[in-house]
Amino acid sequence: MALLRTETLTKAFGALTAVNGVTLEVQAGTLHSIIGPNGAGKTTLFNLLTGQFPPTSGRIVFDGRDITRTPAHRIAHLGLARSFQRTNVFPALSILDNVWIAAFARGRSWRGLVWRRSDRYTEIVERARAALADVGLADKADQPAREISHGEQRQLELAIALAAAPRVLLLDEPAAGLSPDETQKMVALVRELKGRYTIVLIEHKMDIIMGVSDRVSVMHFGSLIAEGTPAEIQRNPEVRRAYLGGMVAE
Amino acid sequence: MSRTWLAVLAAVVVLPMAVRHAIATEIWIFAIFGLGLNLLLGYTGLLSFGQSTFFGAAAYVAGYLLKHSAINVFLALAIGIAVGAVSAALVGYLCVQRSGLYFIMLTFALNQMFYFIAYQWTTVTGGEDGMPGIGRPALLAVDFRNPLAYYVFVAALFLLSLWIMKRIVESPLGKILQAIRENDVRAEAVGYDVPRFKLLAFVIGGAFSGLAGVLYAMLFGIVPLEAIGFVFSGNVVFATLIGGSGSLYGPIIGSFVFIWLSESVSVVWERWPLLLGVAFVIVVLFFRGGCVEAWARFWSWRERRRAPAGIAP
Ligand SMILES: Nc1ncnc2c1ncn2[C@@H]1O[C@H](COP(=O)(O)OP(=O)(O)O)[C@@H](O)[C@H]1O
Ligand SMILES: [Mg+2]
Repeated sequence: MALLRTETLTKAFGALTAVNGVTLEVQAGTLHSIIGPNGAGKTTLFNLLTGQFPPTSGRIVFDGRDITRTPAHRIAHLGLARSFQRTNVFPALSILDNVWIAAFARGRSWRGLVWRRSDRYTEIVERARAALADVGLADKADQPAREISHGEQRQLELAIALAAAPRVLLLDEPAAGLSPDETQKMVALVRELKGRYTIVLIEHKMDIIMGVSDRVSVMHFGSLIAEGTPAEIQRNPEVRRAYLGGMVAE
Repeated sequence: MSRTWLAVLAAVVVLPMAVRHAIATEIWIFAIFGLGLNLLLGYTGLLSFGQSTFFGAAAYVAGYLLKHSAINVFLALAIGIAVGAVSAALVGYLCVQRSGLYFIMLTFALNQMFYFIAYQWTTVTGGEDGMPGIGRPALLAVDFRNPLAYYVFVAALFLLSLWIMKRIVESPLGKILQAIRENDVRAEAVGYDVPRFKLLAFVIGGAFSGLAGVLYAMLFGIVPLEAIGFVFSGNVVFATLIGGSGSLYGPIIGSFVFIWLSESVSVVWERWPLLLGVAFVIVVLFFRGGCVEAWARFWSWRERRRAPAGIAP
C-alpha cells in the first residue's frame, strides 16, 4: 500500500490552477521524484501535502489516514517533514538550535516546556547533532545560521527536516542555487538518505534525479503528464516535448 | 553566580542609597513590567502596544480589594498576577491571528477600550481622579508603610521575577518563541501551533505586568487613570528598546534610564522627554540592540585596541 497518496488534488489561485487533478502514489521506502519546468506546480503540491494551505478539491491520504485540511503543525507531528526551495531557516538562532527546534517538536511532549533548561533534553540534543552530522554541519553547530554560506544553509535546510525523524521526507529542489560542485555533494547526500527514509524529491533539472530515483512523475502546467522509472521517462515523447518547450538545455 | 547577577544585586543594594526610596522602588517595578513586555517584543518579535491594559487592570482589581477588604499582601499579588494573565489571554486571543501593523493597532485599540472603561466607570475606578486610598498591609511583623521595607520587598520580588524569566527564556518555550520571531512559517512547518505559542507569551507577559501593576498601586497608594493609558504602554516599549530588547537584561537597564530621567531630570527640566527622544533616535540609528549592544560594542572595541599591543614583541 502506498504510504502517501493524493486523489485528484487540485489547487486554484483565482483563475490559475496551479495543481490540477493530481493523483499520485508514493510507496514506502522509495525515492519518488517529481520533475517539471518552473511554474509547473511542484512547490504548490508540497504546500498542499504539508498543510500550508488547503486544496480547492481532492484528498490527501497518509498511511491510510485522511489528512486533507489538517493544519501544518499537526502534519509535522504525523511525520511528514519538508525542506524548502527557498532557504527557510531561523537566521539569528545557532545551527544547533535550528535543528533542536525541529527535533523538540517531533518529541510530541511538552514536559518541562516553560521551565526545564533546553540543553538538558539530552535525547533531543543528540538527535539534533545527529541530523547535523548527517549533512556535514556538525562542526558549525554554534554559529548563527545567518553567518554560514548559501551552500551550508541548503545543508541546514535539509538537516531541519531530518531532525524531525520523518516518515516521509519532502525535498523541494535541495540543490537550488548551488554550484556544480555543491550540487554533486547534495546529490551524494540524497543518495545516502535513500533507503533510510521514504523520499519525495522535487527537481527541475532532469539529469540530477535520473540516477537516484526509483520512480519519476512529470508535472506540467499543474497536471501529471507521465509516471514511470527514470528510463521510461527519458524515452517518453510527451515528456520530451514538455521539456523542449521549457528547459532541456539545463 | 554570574557577573551579571552580581551587578544586579549590587544595584539593588546601592540604589536606595543613591535615589529616593520611592524612585528606587519604581525602577524595579517598571523593570518587572519591562521583563514581561520583552518576552513578547524581544523574544517573540511581537510589538504589543497595549501592555498597560494588563498592568492597569491588575492595579484596579487588586487596589479595589486592598481598599475594601482586609486581604493580605500575597493574596493581592496573586490576584493581580491572575488578572494580568487573564486580561492578556483575552487581548492575546484577539490579536495573535493578525500580524504586522494590524497586530500593533489592535493591541493599541483594545488598550484604548480598557482605558475608556476605566474612565467611565467612575464609581469604581474614580475616573480621571484615579483610585486613591490603597494601603500596604503588613506582612507578619513587617510594616510596609516604611519605604525601605517596601523597597526590600519589591526588590526581592524583582529578583524572583528575573530568575523566573531567565528560566523561561532558557526553556524550550524560550527557543520556540525565538524561532517564531525568526521565521513563523518554518516554525509552523516543523510542528508548532504558532498562534497558541504567541498566546502563551501574552499570558506570561500579562502575569508579569499584573504583578508590576499591583506593586505600583501599593507604592503610590493610588491607581491613576494613566496606569491603563496608552502613554504608559508606550513608555514600557520605549524603555525596553532603549535598554535593549535583544537581551534578558535590556528592560532592566531601560527601566533605570527611563525612571531616572522621568523622576530626576524632569524636576529640573520640564522638557525632559526631549532627552528620551534623542536617546531613542540614537538607538534607532546606531544601536538597534539598545544600551546592551552599545555596551558590548564598547568592550569589543577596547579589546581590539588592546590586542595589537599584546601581540607586539
Ligand atoms: N500562493 C500563491 N498565490 C498565487 N499564485 C501562486 C501561489 N503559489 C504559487 N503560485 C503560482 O502557481 C504556479 C505554480 O507555482 P509553483 O508551485 O511554485 O511551481 P514550481 O515549484 O513547479 O516551480 C505559478 O504560476 C505560481 O506563480
Ligand atoms: Mg518550486
